[in-house]
Amino acid sequence: MLTGFTAGLLLAYTGMLGLCLGLERHYRQIWQQVPPAWLRRTLRAAGWLALALAFPACIQAWGAAMGPVGWFGLVSLTGFALVLLLPLAPRLALWLPAAGGVLWVLLLGAGLWRGEPF
Amino acid sequence: MSGNRTFRQSMSWLHGWAGLLLGWLLFAIFLTGTLTVFDKEISWWMQPELRDTGVDQPTAARFAQDWLAREHGEAAVWSIGLPTERSPVLKVSTGEDRRAERLVLDPESGARVPVRDSVGGNFFFRFHYSLHLPRTLGIWLVGLAAMAMLVALVSGIVIHRHLFRDFFAFRPVGSRRAWLDGHNASAVLLLPFHLMITYTGLVIFFLIYMPAALDALYGGDRMAMLREASPGAQAVAGGMDRGDQRSRDGASAREAPPAELLPLESFIVPAEALFGSGMVASLRVRHPGRANARVEASPLLGSRIALTKGEAAVFDGVSGKLLQAPAEKRPSALTQRVMAGLHFAQFGGYPMRWLYFLCSAVSCAMIATGLVLFVIRQRLKVAEANAGQGFLRLVETLNVGTLAGLMLGCVALLWAARLLPADLAGRAGWEARLFFAVWALAFVHAWRRPPMAAWREQLWAAALLCMGLPLLEGFSAPSLDKTRLLLELCVFLCGAVLGWVAWRVGKASAADGVSRSLEGAMRC
Repeated sequence: MLTGFTAGLLLAYTGMLGLCLGLERHYRQIWQQVPPAWLRRTLRAAGWLALALAFPACIQAWGAAMGPVGWFGLVSLTGFALVLLLPLAPRLALWLPAAGGVLWVLLLGAGLWRGEPF
Repeated sequence: MSGNRTFRQSMSWLHGWAGLLLGWLLFAIFLTGTLTVFDKEISWWMQPELRDTGVDQPTAARFAQDWLAREHGEAAVWSIGLPTERSPVLKVSTGEDRRAERLVLDPESGARVPVRDSVGGNFFFRFHYSLHLPRTLGIWLVGLAAMAMLVALVSGIVIHRHLFRDFFAFRPVGSRRAWLDGHNASAVLLLPFHLMITYTGLVIFFLIYMPAALDALYGGDRMAMLREASPGAQAVAGGMDRGDQRSRDGASAREAPPAELLPLESFIVPAEALFGSGMVASLRVRHPGRANARVEASPLLGSRIALTKGEAAVFDGVSGKLLQAPAEKRPSALTQRVMAGLHFAQFGGYPMRWLYFLCSAVSCAMIATGLVLFVIRQRLKVAEANAGQGFLRLVETLNVGTLAGLMLGCVALLWAARLLPADLAGRAGWEARLFFAVWALAFVHAWRRPPMAAWREQLWAAALLCMGLPLLEGFSAPSLDKTRLLLELCVFLCGAVLGWVAWRVGKASAADGVSRSLEGAMRC
């Protein structure tokens, strides 16, 4: 359950980050330059994709009935956390998914080590 | 309102007043609701005598049966709360009254555990839906506030100028901009949650808020409607439902011949077959020791979204036969139960509990920022028109007393649970009285002090009480376990956040004072 939950959390955050950086204002907030149009489109598409992938992760964690409730909660909360983090620590906001990814791999590895299914 | 206002201006007016007049009430409802998410954990903390002995359910059931047969053999009803994950103790009571005092038993030592009388986390739950007023009045007031919340949410979407452009915007520069961005972000990003929790909250009491259909179709007979909503209930039991049974029992209880009750632990496995493994919460025995003994097993909430409160499987206590399985509900009734379940948030384990806790904490923040924004705007108006000072003062006082004062009251309740003498008569009542006394004092304090000072002092008081909770544990009644430690850690973190806010308020008012004196100097 925790691997699914953590995966959902990370994917939801990454998705919101992608959507956010796909906007010119927030891209400039981090890199101080105007992004080319193709990059903005790619970031946004990647964001939507990550949000979509968070959905099966939530289903995996909670089941088909409760999963969507968890998905809404995770997307909303990670979005709000991102909004608070952006002006205070923009670089941290960017690197958080990477750190989280490492954590997820560790969790998954620990689970497999104990012989639990994904 | 004049006729030539635009739609957006009218909505803005509506948003401001609906939000202000019921915002204080809404904050109180949302804050106590947020705490209710962890009600069992709070209860556990407030009664330090309780400890997790790690007894499994069959052992607990066996011990409870022996103890009840010895001490209360003649009672008509035994209720046994089995140890569960969130409340790992055995509790028993006798008699029909659901609010009867529940005794805590320790199967290891074989004795009663003397537990202090405390309102527990249930206090926040009761406040959340009835405000501790007479039940019907409280429920109607909460319903009114929920309607105002829906009005404020919809009108808020209409008046938001750049819903998508400012979707991720938070600019903590300049006080008004920051408050407005915070208000907007917390409202927009969590809009699904705000709408869901408010709407489902109303749906729980649909029979109270909208009784017209019940009156017209069933002549106001609630039981008739409930029977029709779950037709399966009678089929299994052969036309017997629990309402009838209870009225018949008064006469038959004395007539039924004595008969041996099966060991209660033997009902746990068949009940788990119905509810899921580890999902049995309690057993209730009617007519123990008689031939017509009935054992009702109730499920732990949370195996599914739909709220299963009040459902039970009924077994024959002598033969062990299943008489009545939990009823399947019609789609309409099931829809209502699912909505209620979405509100009660008993499903999905601790990760889901945390999601609900954080989401409703953001709701509280949204309401609080909205109330602060009203004051900021009113202050500008007063500065421009030089009028309405009294009203501004009133709103500021109520803001401080409701927002900071209620938080102070809540943490004061935790302190009261540990500091009041354990054997005080009517102890739970004194805890509640202390909560309300602290809250009332907060209003007096907010009225007597300048607004910024009142904010700072009350926030600091709440922060210090929160951060001091682990110390209190140390010197009052050390009974540390995982649940209590985690609760203290969380309260400590909340205290740190409150302290940070108090510090920022102090800095802001100091800067404000400097800029005001500069302004004054320039005028001179």
